[in-house]
Amino acid sequence: MKKYLLKRVATSLLTILGIVVVVFFIVRVLPGDAAAVRAGPYANQEMIDRIADKYGLNDPLRVQFVDYVSGVAQGDLGVSIRTNQSVTRELLDRLPASLELAVYSVILATAVGVSLGVLSAHRQNTWIDRLSRIFAVVGSAMALFWLGLLLTFFFAFKWRWFPGPVDRLAVGSEDPGTFTGFYTIDGILSGRPDITVEAFRYLALPVITLAFVLAAPILKMVRSAMIEALESDFVRTAKAVGVPRTQILLVDGFRNALIPVTTTIGIVFGFMLGGNILVEFLFSWPGIGRYAFDAITTRDLEALQGFVVLVGVMYVFLNMVIDIAYAVIDPRIRLGSGITK
Amino acid sequence: MTQVPGPSSKRPADSQFVVRRVYVPKEQSLPRRWLSFMRANPLFTIGLILLTMFVGLAAIGPFFVGDPLRTNISEMFSPPSAEHWFGTDVYGRDIFARAVHAARLDLSIGLTIALVAMVIGSTIGVVSGYLGGWVDEIIMRLTDILLAFPGFVLALIIVAALDESLLNVVIAVAAAYVPYFIRLTRAQALVEREQEYADAAQLAGNSPIRIAFRHVMPNSLQPALVSATLVTGWAVLTVAGLAFLSVGIQPPQAEWGVMVGEGARDIITGEWWTSLFPGGMIVLAVMAFHFIGDDLTEARA
Amino acid sequence: MSLLRATGLNVEVTGSPYPILREVEFSVEPGEILALVGESGSGKTMAALAVMGLLPFGIDMTAGEVQLEGRNLARSDGTVERDASQISMIFQNPVGALNPTMRVGSQIARAIQFNQQIGRSTALQTAIEMIGHVGIPGPERVARSYPHQLSGGMCQRIMIALAISCRPRLLIADEPTTALDVTVQAQIFELIKALVEEIGCGVVFITHDLGAVAEMADRVTVMYGGQVMEELPVVELLNDPKHPYTRYLLESVIREVDHRIEDIGVDFALTGCRFGHRCLLAHDSCNEYPALEEISPGHRLSCFAEITEAP
Repeated sequence: MKKYLLKRVATSLLTILGIVVVVFFIVRVLPGDAAAVRAGPYANQEMIDRIADKYGLNDPLRVQFVDYVSGVAQGDLGVSIRTNQSVTRELLDRLPASLELAVYSVILATAVGVSLGVLSAHRQNTWIDRLSRIFAVVGSAMALFWLGLLLTFFFAFKWRWFPGPVDRLAVGSEDPGTFTGFYTIDGILSGRPDITVEAFRYLALPVITLAFVLAAPILKMVRSAMIEALESDFVRTAKAVGVPRTQILLVDGFRNALIPVTTTIGIVFGFMLGGNILVEFLFSWPGIGRYAFDAITTRDLEALQGFVVLVGVMYVFLNMVIDIAYAVIDPRIRLGSGITK
Repeated sequence: MTQVPGPSSKRPADSQFVVRRVYVPKEQSLPRRWLSFMRANPLFTIGLILLTMFVGLAAIGPFFVGDPLRTNISEMFSPPSAEHWFGTDVYGRDIFARAVHAARLDLSIGLTIALVAMVIGSTIGVVSGYLGGWVDEIIMRLTDILLAFPGFVLALIIVAALDESLLNVVIAVAAAYVPYFIRLTRAQALVEREQEYADAAQLAGNSPIRIAFRHVMPNSLQPALVSATLVTGWAVLTVAGLAFLSVGIQPPQAEWGVMVGEGARDIITGEWWTSLFPGGMIVLAVMAFHFIGDDLTEARA
Repeated sequence: MSLLRATGLNVEVTGSPYPILREVEFSVEPGEILALVGESGSGKTMAALAVMGLLPFGIDMTAGEVQLEGRNLARSDGTVERDASQISMIFQNPVGALNPTMRVGSQIARAIQFNQQIGRSTALQTAIEMIGHVGIPGPERVARSYPHQLSGGMCQRIMIALAISCRPRLLIADEPTTALDVTVQAQIFELIKALVEEIGCGVVFITHDLGAVAEMADRVTVMYGGQVMEELPVVELLNDPKHPYTRYLLESVIREVDHRIEDIGVDFALTGCRFGHRCLLAHDSCNEYPALEEISPGHRLSCFAEITEAP
């Protein structure tokens, strides 16, 4: 087990290095004149030269690269062209908002996807199965931004169930003390449960939007993995010796379907790191996705670079967690196949 | 002990055993065969119908509808009517006309991206899988790194780094899907190279590259071709998503994502048709690709 | 009264008009070992699954009675209501037939728990005892292992322990040694015979290996293409079987037999005997379905031909 962990950590670090290299290459090498791109379409030559100097864009590539990599290793992702603040600082400030959104979306998507998937597999070809499959198809084809718009229109404007897309809390609401950065938790922790409720109300629409799309692949995978597990030989054995149906469903079926399901949840998390930009834009959510969008529109390549590196790192870290989860779930991975005679 | 059974006294000398069947299915006429195919594969059929409609729309639609860029302020924000099937937007442009032109743009972009990604990815994948060794290792590491970025983010940063042009959008989004094809064809190539015909070709003296391309590749392409339909759908979704953020393709270009982006503000004031229709077309088109692609994938399995 | 009498078993693929198993019947007397013999695809496993009520999704039993000690377990809708203490079963490929994410001791323990209503820790204790009882040394350690850590032979012993733990009246063993080494085979046979004597249950032993039949069985039912061809005591099988197919099986074991008619697979839509297309003795009357008829005490035959010894 230890060897497995160490190997995963090593590969992850290498991948992160690779990410930094790739991002660097894309941002500094691809554009014809990096300084001109940064200066924007309205700059004159003098401004371009000044920017080139400030960001060391005239230094040889080797030097730029080493500078950047050593910076990243120390957690320094550069300085935003637009705001002149540390990119790292700005990203970290906005990260909790994105994480809160991401976590609740995945929880909802998993809850829906897993329960419908298990039910579907258990009762194949019944109405619930057909409904689930339609849901899965529509969810996979759904355009996030369109769904978000629709939900906002109906639930926020027409029927007023939830507030409109303004922020994480109503304008003028107090920020609860920062313990976790999750307003839903901080509200309770700082003795302001009303803030928690309000935070949930503002979270509702973006979370539902995201969860709708994320639930589809989870549902598909849970269903097919469960069906495969339920048709396997060992389930037949369990039925033969009289294990009750619920136990079989959960322990024999679901437990063995967990591996492909975990993979899917990983993919889903990955998708969300990208989907966040769209949802955060749509709902004016002050997270890292919104930050990235602002960086794009203002051609703030430093900030964008930082964002991509952060996302890549989070993704790698996530994959490592998933691999560890595999080892926990499946004893074949954890213990190797040593045979005791 | 036992002998092979000899002739039995019960069997008449000239009797023959003719196999008699209970039921022989009768030959079905062509249209009936189609009907039963459609009933057996309903999703595929729907997907095919939808796709045909969209392709038709994209191909000949633009000749029949009005100018997607023509503005007419006096008609701004008219709801769907007989004259403007999808209504008009803030500048008085006919939404239906724009949507039809957008169909041509989106579908052709999506297809191009999928094809480019498939060609590049498959080539790399087959070479990597067939050659193995350190070439394979390196390519795999690079693919892993590329896959560490969510596709949308990768496409986003590439477009942002390059100029905003249609070509760059294609490059950027294709780059996001190339690793997927690499993985796919590599896996197939690994299987194919163990097959007998590969050995035979090698014995005949062919160079590894020649074997890889002339023999292994055609067989490894099968899963890639099937996936191409799904990838086209994803590509359309990605391009539209980028366009929604005004990245890559921007207003006033008639593109589904752009239209949804433009119509987003109108929702607040109640003009739902400016964003609903284009968005709905995206979803329908992607669903069509999904239906077809999913069925093909299942048929392979 | 027979221990088990399965009669008129008809099994079909849902929606298809042609039965996979046609009028299959077999019976087991108390304390007896019946061998269910046939090549792969003969339907012997399917017949066992039908009796157990374990037919997979998409396959139904459309007719049949399953009498265990006189009581019919089959319901009118084709399901079979069976308890693990009535009939139990062990399967081919023992490693795959055990849950890979659960320790083997726990797998046995939960069967005991659910069948005998005892507590968890007692069940676990009993499970460990059973593991030792089937001849596995160091049962505590093995009980904590996972299936993939054990050899095929050990897994089969575990499965036997699992099946026996419910103290069944009848045990069905579906090709228990096909996936195992020959050396392990003999040990498993010995184990089964010993346990059967100890518990006093009957056994249906499914196999395609005539050598195993000779060693284990008291009586034999021969199947081909979902149809019962012949039913006879093992001695008669080895000396003088009467059905063309049974004779062919025997010949194939002894020496290479030249059969001019290739096996093209069974056509389930045929009206008559399903061995017809391969049978050298086939003639017109074989287009009728040959019912099982008793030609001598304890010997039943489904065939229109009469086999006489060649001079």
